[in-house]
Amino acid sequence: MAAAAPGGRSFSFKVVLLGEGCVGKTSLVLRYCENKFNDKHITTLQASFLTKKLNIGGKRVNLAIWDTAGQERFHALGPIYYRDSNGAILVYDITDEDSFQKVKNWVKELRKMLGNEICLCIVGNKIDLEKERHVSVQEAETYAESVGAKHYHTSAKQNKGIEELFLDLCKRMIETAQVDERARGNGSSQSGTARRGVQIIDDEPQVQSSGGCCSSG
Amino acid sequence: MSLKSERRGIHVDQSELLCKKGCGYYGNPAWQGFCSKCWREEYHKARQKQIQEDWELAERLQREEEEAFASSHSTQGAQSLTFSKFEEKKTNEKTRKVTTVKKFFSASSRTGAKKVAQEKNLKQGQLGRERNADNILRDLKEIFTPSWELASPTEEIQEAKAPSPSINRQASIETDRVSKEFIEFLKTYHKPGQDIYKQCKMFLEAMHHKRELSIEEQSECAQDFYQNVAEKLQTRWKVSPERVEKAMDQIEKYIMTRLYKYVFCPETTDDEKKDLVVQRRIRALHWVTPQMLCVPVNEEIPEVSDMVVKAITDIIEMDSKRVPRDKLACITKCSKHIFNAIKITKNEPASADDFLPTLIYIVLKGNPPRLQSNIQYITRFCNPSRLMTGEDGYYFTNLCCAVAFIEKLDAQSLNLSQEDFDRYMSGQTSPKKQESENWSPDVCLGVKQMYKNLDLLSQLNERQERIVSEAKKLERDLIDWTDGITKEVQDIVEKYPLEIKPKNQALAAIDSENVENDKLPPPLQPQVYAG
Repeated sequence: MAAAAPGGRSFSFKVVLLGEGCVGKTSLVLRYCENKFNDKHITTLQASFLTKKLNIGGKRVNLAIWDTAGQERFHALGPIYYRDSNGAILVYDITDEDSFQKVKNWVKELRKMLGNEICLCIVGNKIDLEKERHVSVQEAETYAESVGAKHYHTSAKQNKGIEELFLDLCKRMIETAQVDERARGNGSSQSGTARRGVQIIDDEPQVQSSGGCCSSG
Repeated sequence: MSLKSERRGIHVDQSELLCKKGCGYYGNPAWQGFCSKCWREEYHKARQKQIQEDWELAERLQREEEEAFASSHSTQGAQSLTFSKFEEKKTNEKTRKVTTVKKFFSASSRTGAKKVAQEKNLKQGQLGRERNADNILRDLKEIFTPSWELASPTEEIQEAKAPSPSINRQASIETDRVSKEFIEFLKTYHKPGQDIYKQCKMFLEAMHHKRELSIEEQSECAQDFYQNVAEKLQTRWKVSPERVEKAMDQIEKYIMTRLYKYVFCPETTDDEKKDLVVQRRIRALHWVTPQMLCVPVNEEIPEVSDMVVKAITDIIEMDSKRVPRDKLACITKCSKHIFNAIKITKNEPASADDFLPTLIYIVLKGNPPRLQSNIQYITRFCNPSRLMTGEDGYYFTNLCCAVAFIEKLDAQSLNLSQEDFDRYMSGQTSPKKQESENWSPDVCLGVKQMYKNLDLLSQLNERQERIVSEAKKLERDLIDWTDGITKEVQDIVEKYPLEIKPKNQALAAIDSENVENDKLPPPLQPQVYAG
């Protein structure tokens, strides 16, 4: 199991997208998966569940991005969504102090429910509106560090920082998965792997257009 | 009870001479130790049973023959040969197992049939290990136990859906079709296919013995089985991931079609109670409007309302499927229709912010049957890899969220005041009545017309009431008036009482005194002059 040929590994990760309504969660994923922003020509029917295939250093990664309903009334449903997820992207609007407070709530909850196994990304979106900033960079970054999360600045409108965000997250999730695997003992992947959400599959390398393509459905 | 050999007649005890049924009369070895009356009864029952069994056997044989015929036809050459051999071996194995498993069955006392089992054991003891009594023992067991309990494992598994052919004929046909398809499918996998088949059979047999365990333990077994088979396919048989996935789907279909009856909404859980709670809850919430949930769907657009109807149909259809994956497919289909509806209304891809409220609305409108049971069943017995990261899993999670939301829904989550919420819940008022003026979005024409007519009726009613009250008032007025007049008249009469005065006579006297009147000349007559 450990001696898999390079390129023969594939990971499946589940990433949840959390954040208040109107912070631009949907725009963020649409930009990432379709490279479009507020476009009338967006082909996808929905932006709530998107997948993306990546190739990072010979490791194939299947990313499933789960959007969550951000309205306050659905807050209590969070745990149902983020169960078994490998990563979480917590989005706030840099012009909206409240949305940052919300992120703090989510972080607390996630850490409580999933511990340190989940990779957290705190994302300040809408940096094209820098002039109207209400959440200071310093504050956000300090906070992120204090909870073991990484902080990113993005603009879905100008397509800034998004690629980096997802790539970085994937790398971190791979690391976590590998550490996890090693901790569980070499090779004897008894029950647990599939059910915990990370599927590590050894297989022959197959021809498949990897990276960049997005398919849902 | 040392009742060894009544037939050999070495030690014939008084008790042995009596009828085995314990009716008090003497038995006769020729009647297997029964008295004549009991023997006739037993014999009759056994005969009936035998006839039915023969019929079943004949049917099964025919089916197998058909299957063999079909398989030998569809694929020629070595492959089909090996497969039919494999099948043959399988059947041999089955027949060998029959006796042992039967023993197991008779020894275990089932909760549902404890009394039966006791009786059975008694009979067994009496009959002992007499070889020639074996037949009757079997017959008796058949008589005293429900047929499904007694059947050999193979029969059991093959006809898991059909304890008696006449009742569940439909289900049995489906089960057969599924297993035929499964075998066909496995043929494409050659050797691993045989292995899979064996594993599945073994698993089903194991599950059969675990039927009395809690549902969580059974679920655990199923999950372990999925994982083991998938791992085996990958590591031992080196099957590519895509093909593993396909095989897993087929395996799930095969085993769950068989297990469905025993593990869906089992009696040991309170799933059914929860179903009813949710159902009642949704019924009580019939008044919730799309506006309250902020559903981004405009049902006035015909295409959209069409999508909504389709989505509702899909979510209701879920209950009719047996395989977890098919159930998931229904949820996915429903979700796609919802996305379409949102896309047509908003003209942009739906986010979760749009999707979840709409799904909640669809669930509220559809009130799908056995919602909790279905969710529990999928969670327990679906192939976990599908639920974890796949698209189906996402929609399923949303459905779970929708149900959780509906269960906990309160005034705040609909942006209503507590008083309004309570009033709507108690059915005192309906928000629909109040806004009946601009009321139209989500109702079909008939209902709309009905509401209009209701409105009209209530208006008419009001008018009618007004008329009646006016009429009453008028009546009252009239009565008052007559009373008033009478009173007035009386007053006047009282005030000015009628007195007949003698004055009148005096007047007459005056006239009468005029005696000389007749002496007067007659009055002048008018005369006409011609002029």
